[in-house]
Amino acid sequence: MYANVDMAANLSPAASMKSPRNLFASIPSVVASLKGYDLQPPSPTVIALNRLTYGATPELSEQVTKRGVKDYLEEQLHPKGEDERVVRKLSEATLPIKYNDKDGNPLVDEVRSLRLIDAPLSELWKLNNKDANLPYAEKIRALEEVRVASWFRAVYSPWQLREVMAEFWHNHFNVNASDQKISTVFPVYDRDVIRKNCFGNFRAFLEDVSKSAAMLYYLDNFTSKASPANENYARELFELHTLGSDFYFNNLYNRWRDVPGATAGKPVGYIDEDVYEAARAFTGWTVADGASSGKDKLPDTGEFYYYDGWHDNYQKRILGTEIEPNQPALSDGHLALDLVAHHPATAKHLCKKLCIRFLSDQPPPSVVEGAVKVWIQNQKSPDQIGQTLRYIINTKEFATTWGQKVKRPFHLMVSMLRATQAEITPNQGLTGQLSQMGYLHYNWQTPTGHPDVMDYWLSSNSMIARWNVATSLLSVSPNNRIAAYDFARLVPPGMDTPQDLSRFWIDRVLQKRKTPDFEQAMIDFLRGDGKADQPIPPDKLNNRLSGFIALLTMTPDFQLI
Amino acid sequence: MKRREFIVGCSAAIAALAGSRITGYSFSPDGSPGNILIYVFLRGGCDGLNLVAPVNDPNYIANRTADVRVTDSGDTEGLSLGNGLAGLDFRLHKKTSALKELYDSKALAIIHAAGLTNGTRSHFDAMDLIERGSLQNKTLNEGWLTRFLESLPSTQEKNNIASVAIGTVMPTSFLGSNSTLAISNLNDYKLRGDKRYASILQSLYTGNSLLDEAAQNALTSVAEINNRLPKDVTNTPMPYVPENNVKYPENPLARSLQTLAQLIKMETGLRVASVDYGGWDTHEHQQGAFANLAEGLSTALGAFYNDISDHQKRVTLLVMSEFGRRLKSNKSNGTDHGHGNVMLVLGGDVMGGKMYGNWPGLENEQLDNHVDLAVTTDYRHVLSEILLKRMANPKLGYIFPGYKDYKPLNFLSGNALQIDYNHAK
Repeated sequence: MYANVDMAANLSPAASMKSPRNLFASIPSVVASLKGYDLQPPSPTVIALNRLTYGATPELSEQVTKRGVKDYLEEQLHPKGEDERVVRKLSEATLPIKYNDKDGNPLVDEVRSLRLIDAPLSELWKLNNKDANLPYAEKIRALEEVRVASWFRAVYSPWQLREVMAEFWHNHFNVNASDQKISTVFPVYDRDVIRKNCFGNFRAFLEDVSKSAAMLYYLDNFTSKASPANENYARELFELHTLGSDFYFNNLYNRWRDVPGATAGKPVGYIDEDVYEAARAFTGWTVADGASSGKDKLPDTGEFYYYDGWHDNYQKRILGTEIEPNQPALSDGHLALDLVAHHPATAKHLCKKLCIRFLSDQPPPSVVEGAVKVWIQNQKSPDQIGQTLRYIINTKEFATTWGQKVKRPFHLMVSMLRATQAEITPNQGLTGQLSQMGYLHYNWQTPTGHPDVMDYWLSSNSMIARWNVATSLLSVSPNNRIAAYDFARLVPPGMDTPQDLSRFWIDRVLQKRKTPDFEQAMIDFLRGDGKADQPIPPDKLNNRLSGFIALLTMTPDFQLI
Repeated sequence: MKRREFIVGCSAAIAALAGSRITGYSFSPDGSPGNILIYVFLRGGCDGLNLVAPVNDPNYIANRTADVRVTDSGDTEGLSLGNGLAGLDFRLHKKTSALKELYDSKALAIIHAAGLTNGTRSHFDAMDLIERGSLQNKTLNEGWLTRFLESLPSTQEKNNIASVAIGTVMPTSFLGSNSTLAISNLNDYKLRGDKRYASILQSLYTGNSLLDEAAQNALTSVAEINNRLPKDVTNTPMPYVPENNVKYPENPLARSLQTLAQLIKMETGLRVASVDYGGWDTHEHQQGAFANLAEGLSTALGAFYNDISDHQKRVTLLVMSEFGRRLKSNKSNGTDHGHGNVMLVLGGDVMGGKMYGNWPGLENEQLDNHVDLAVTTDYRHVLSEILLKRMANPKLGYIFPGYKDYKPLNFLSGNALQIDYNHAK
C-alpha cells in the first residue's frame, strides 16, 4: 500500500538559489509620502471606553468626557434590564434552519425567529426529549440564538460593561456549547449563571457554575460516582476556576503535610490528593436527565440533581481541612467550594486575570495586589466582583497604559459595527469569521478558555483574517447579509470631497489626531484617480467609503487597545 | 519581548530570475535536500493504553473495564504487533488498521512508556512544559521548536518558509518565533479587498512591536505563498489534488495533513511543521469517542503518507500527547489524567515494525504513584534522536534547557551528530 520511499526527491538544481532578505523593497508603495508611521495613544477617556465597552463611539466619548469615566462606571456597574432596541432586534431576528430526514430527504428548510433565548429550562429541556429524538440542527439552535443575542447586546446595548464581563466570565468558566447536550441548556447558563453573577459574589457564582447542567456536562461530573470518582471537574476547579496552576505543587503529589501552611489548615496551594478528595466530594452532583441507576430513575427535568446513591460518603481532607464521614447531602461539595473560593491563591489568580483583561498582558503588580485586597475584603459581599472592578478601573494605571493588547476578535468586529452605526442581522457566518481569527464563540474546546495575551491573537493566519474581516464585514454589497450601512447619512450635509471625508472618518473611527503624512496618505487612497477636492458622486459614496473605512480599521490604531 | 529577526525571500525578484518554477529547498551540507520534521500533538491526553496495549497483562485486564481496553478476542480485539516490548502481546486499537499497515511496512515505530518526567497531571502545565522543552520552567519565552529554528546552522536558516503551524493559531512549541507562519488553507491564504491594501499596510506596520512583526510576517508570507501556488491559465490557484489517488478522510487532522502535503510539494524550504489534533480528554464514555479519534489518527496518517510518497525519505513525523491516562478506569467508563504514554514515529529513515523503550510493567508498585504507567523514556530522548540524526541540529543543551542525559533508542537509521549540551545558541 505504501509507495517506495527510495523514489524520493529528484530535485531541480535551481533550488540552491538564495533569496534576498527583504520583500518590502520590491513592492512600490502607493503611499510614498507616509514616512514612519506615528503611533500615539488616544485620550484617556477613549482608552478607558475601549476597555469598558466594545468600542468608543464619538457620541459616547463626548458624553463620557463631560461626565467623567468614574461616573460612567458607576452607572455601568448597576445595569438595568434589557435595552429596548435589543429587545426589538431580538424579536425581529431570524436564523435559517435546514436539515434532512433519516433517508436524506429535505425535511425542514426555513427561516425561523428566535424562541430559545428567554425560554425557561422546562421549555429548553424539550429539545432533549428522548422520544422526539430531534436532530443536531434543532438542538444547536439554542447555542446559535445565544450567539445572535450576544452580537445584538455588544453592538447596541448601553450596558456595555455587563457585556464585556459576560464575555470575560464565559471565557473563565468556559464550556464548549457546540456539544448538543450543552447547547440545549446554554441559554440558562448564559442567563442564570454568567450574566446573573457577572458583578456579584464569586463564591455564589462558583456554586451556580458547579450546579449548572452546562458545566456538569462539560467537565463530566454528571456521571461521577463512587468509586473511582471522575476527576475532571475537580481538577479544573482547582487549576482553572479558582487557585490556578501557579499554586499546584505536583512535586508533593501525596505529601500534603509538606505543602507550606498545610498542618495549620492553611496550605498555600494544592496537590493531586486535593483533586482526588474534591472529586469524591462532588460525586452524585448530577443533572436530572432521566438516567437510570439500578432500580432508581432520575427525574427528567434538566435541573441540578443530587443523587445520594452515587455519593462517596466517607471522610475526606481537602486543602488541609478534615471532613467527617457521612455528612448531610451536598455538604461535602459546598465545603469544597468554600475552601477554594475563599483561598488567597484564588484572589490572586482572579485579580491578575481581571487586570490582564483590563490593563495589559503584564499588568503592574501594584494594581494586582490592590485588587487582591479589595477582593478578599469583600469576600462575603454580594457585589464582590463589582467592587474589585471599581478598584481596578479607578487606578491611574487603567487609562494610562495603552498599546500592549490587541482587541479580541469579537471586540474587533463589534467595534467596526459600532463605529459605523451598522444595522446588523447576525447569522451563523459570523462564527466562522471569528474562528479564522482564532476566536471560538462559545465553542472553545478546552476548559482554559482563550488565552488573553497578544501573542495568541497574532499568528500570520489570524493577522490576515483580522484585515480580511474588515473588507467583508464593512462591505455594502447586497451579498453582505450580516450588516447594512448608510455611511453617507453619518457625514455632515454638503461634505463630499475626499479630503474632507477622509478627515471626518479618521476622527470618527480612530478618535485621535494623526500626522499630516497619514492624513495625506488616506486622502490619496480615497481619491483614487480623482482629485482631493473633487466631490465623490452621491451614488458612489457608500461604496467608496466602505473600502476606505475598512482600511482605517486595519490600522494599528484601531487594532490596539 | 524580543523576537527573532524575520528572514524571508523576495518572491517577486526570485520569480523574475527563476521563471515559473520557484524552488526554495534547504540543503544539507552534502547538498541533499533538507529533511522535514512534522510534530503532531494529540491534545487532551491520548489514552496510550487504549491505543497500544499489552492485551493479556493481568493487571491491565483487572484495572480496566472492557470498554476502554484492547483485547485479544471479541468485539475489542486489537491488531497484533510484531516485536512488542518485553515479549508481551501488544496490540493496536482495532480501528487503526492503517497504523498497522505502516508498522508492518516498517515505516512506523512505536515507543511506549514515554513522556514528560515531571509528574504534573495538569493538561496545560504538561503541554506548557513539553512545548517549551523544559522540565520545570513553564514561563520560558520560547518554544522548543523556536529554539530549534534559531540554532540551525546559518546555511539552512535563510530559507523562505522554514516553519509552519498548520491551523489558525500557533502552538506554544513555536512561541516567540516571528518567522513561523500559521496556515489553515493555502488557497485561502490571501488578502482580500482593495488591491492597494497590501502596500499601504506595509507602510503602516513598520515598528518593532509584536503587532508590527506579526503584520510584516503576514504580508510577506501572503506574497510568497501566492507566488508559489500552482496557477491555471487565468492565474487562479489550482485546487490541490493528492497523489496516488489518495482520498483524505473527513477529520480535522486529515485536513491539516492535506494542507501540509500541499505545502511540502510547493518546495518552500520547509524544515518543521506542527499539527494539532484535539479531543482526547476522555473522562467519560471513552469507548465511542476514542474509537473515532483513533480511527481519525490512523486514516489521516495513512492518507498523508501515501500522498507524499515522493517525499517520504525527507520526512520524519512524530506523534505525541501531553500525558497518558490512568490505568484504572473510573465509574463514568472513562479514564482520568495519567502519566506515561505511547509515541509514534513515521518516516523514511525510521526502523519501523518494532516497538522501542522499556516496558515498566503494570503491577501496583511498578506504576507511577501506584496509579499510572511509569515514564521510562524521557520524551526529549525521542525528539533529540530526530534532531541528531535527521535534522542536523545537535544543540540539545540550547533547545532543551537543563537536558544533559540523552540516550538513543535507535529507532532511526543513520549516524548521530556530536551532541552539544552548551546552553548558548
